[in-house]
Amino acid sequence: MSGEQAHVLAGGVPVPLAAKAARKKALGVRLRISLTQIAILIAWLGLWEGLTRIPWFQQNTIFDPFFISRPSLVAARIWNWMQPGKNSIWPHLMATLDATGLGLLVGVLSGFSLGVTLAQSRFWAKVLNPFIVSLNSTPRITFVPLITMLFGLGMASKVVSSWFVVFFLVFFNTYKGANSVEQELVNFCRTLGARPAQILWRVRIPTAAAWTFAALPNAISFALIGVVLAEFVGSTTGVGYLITTALATLNATDMFAAITILSLVGVCLVYLLGAIERRLLHWSSEFRND
Amino acid sequence: MIRLDHVSKSFEARSGEPVRAVGDFSLTVEKGEFVCIVGPSGCGKSTILNMIAGFTPPTTGKIEVNGARVNGTVPEALGYIFQKDTLLPWYTVRQNVGLGLKFAGAAKRDMDKKIEGLLRLAHLSDFADAHPHQLSGGMRRRVALCMSLAVDPKVLLLDEPFGALDTHTKTHLHSELLEIWKELGQTIVMITHDLDEAVTLANRVIVLSSPPSNVLLEEPIEIPYPRDVFELRQTAQFATHTQRIWKVLGNQFRNAA
Repeated sequence: MSGEQAHVLAGGVPVPLAAKAARKKALGVRLRISLTQIAILIAWLGLWEGLTRIPWFQQNTIFDPFFISRPSLVAARIWNWMQPGKNSIWPHLMATLDATGLGLLVGVLSGFSLGVTLAQSRFWAKVLNPFIVSLNSTPRITFVPLITMLFGLGMASKVVSSWFVVFFLVFFNTYKGANSVEQELVNFCRTLGARPAQILWRVRIPTAAAWTFAALPNAISFALIGVVLAEFVGSTTGVGYLITTALATLNATDMFAAITILSLVGVCLVYLLGAIERRLLHWSSEFRND
Repeated sequence: MIRLDHVSKSFEARSGEPVRAVGDFSLTVEKGEFVCIVGPSGCGKSTILNMIAGFTPPTTGKIEVNGARVNGTVPEALGYIFQKDTLLPWYTVRQNVGLGLKFAGAAKRDMDKKIEGLLRLAHLSDFADAHPHQLSGGMRRRVALCMSLAVDPKVLLLDEPFGALDTHTKTHLHSELLEIWKELGQTIVMITHDLDEAVTLANRVIVLSSPPSNVLLEEPIEIPYPRDVFELRQTAQFATHTQRIWKVLGNQFRNAA
């Protein structure tokens, strides 16, 4: 198949040669993009590091290390946190990750289940529609203090907060996906002898699942936001707790270190998801990342 | 065998007024016949197929398929090919073709054997493990046909199945469809807006009026089978048939414009 396509694309040029040239060119472009990205990163960090060391900039601009720290200090702090001991970040990081993972899992499972279920019943979809729309347009993070009040300082309120923000996102996407199945396809399956349960299982759920998957990168960052917010509001562990402590002691280095770690966690999770997605959804051009 | 007895269909328009899509339509298709229905677009051709398949009930009249009244459910042993793609993209060609057998709970060994046979019949054996997005439009049509054939339909309803294809691919598929029909002998009703296609394939062509649609012409095509779909178009007989049908159909187009 791919051979046939390559032949068509090459338009008369012997296939292996043309393919090799195309690969080489693609590699060159990729390399140039990567180099430019690295250059921008270095320039940014260099400027930050350099300007915060020049007294005039420290006094007259924002480049005061008291307020914005500097990359070398942040890196040293992260290194320091990595070491075992009293100042280790691991217990905090694990607390945040556990709550995020759990909130994500519960949010995705419940959002998916309700999305598929509601797509099955036009009546209930119509009945519940105004409630769902108004809940969705309420800024959901405003519930976090209430959730903390209800579930106390700890794991439970973090998980519930993260579930609360993830659930709606996943629910909406799944619901839309389950409804996007065309009537022709359903009718076609009926002529193949499918019962309603078989259409649900083999047609609606896979279609909905692809849409759910498309929502997951956002769901991951929503889950993190929910947990960190709950940690801001009231908690004794977690990376969010570290940030509020840093605010209390006006420690910009701690804040930047915590933010950097959270963003690395987010990036890793999204990459992991991308790898899973490419394996599971390789059949779909619509949801492929390239 | 298919029998439609004074069938009509009205829809409720957005304004609330009923719109008559199909007028007073009667048709009998004998076992093993290949009937093509042509007519201006929006003349209720698809509605007629949908009623035969039991997807939507007629407003008045009676429909029978293989001697049983069609009443809200899809008749036994009925296949339907849509113009739209109806493959499941997450399954391979083999899994797609086996879908109907899976719905019926067939044994794995019987399934494999049947799927192999169908793929060979449709010249798809080399693509059994490909996914739909890797196939051309013509191949996807053949997979859809195989999916239907897997459940041994005695009646095949085709709703502009080749509408979106180029002439070259279309002609090849015509020849394959005729081969399959010769081998399996289903009763076929096909809707098309392509007059040449209708004359190439059918042993009877029915021309419908604009809505509420009625039968304007029934033209038996007297070209003997097996037909060579490539040679056919150059014959005088082919030209006579198309001209006779065009005389009626062209007037419809003119009136509709």
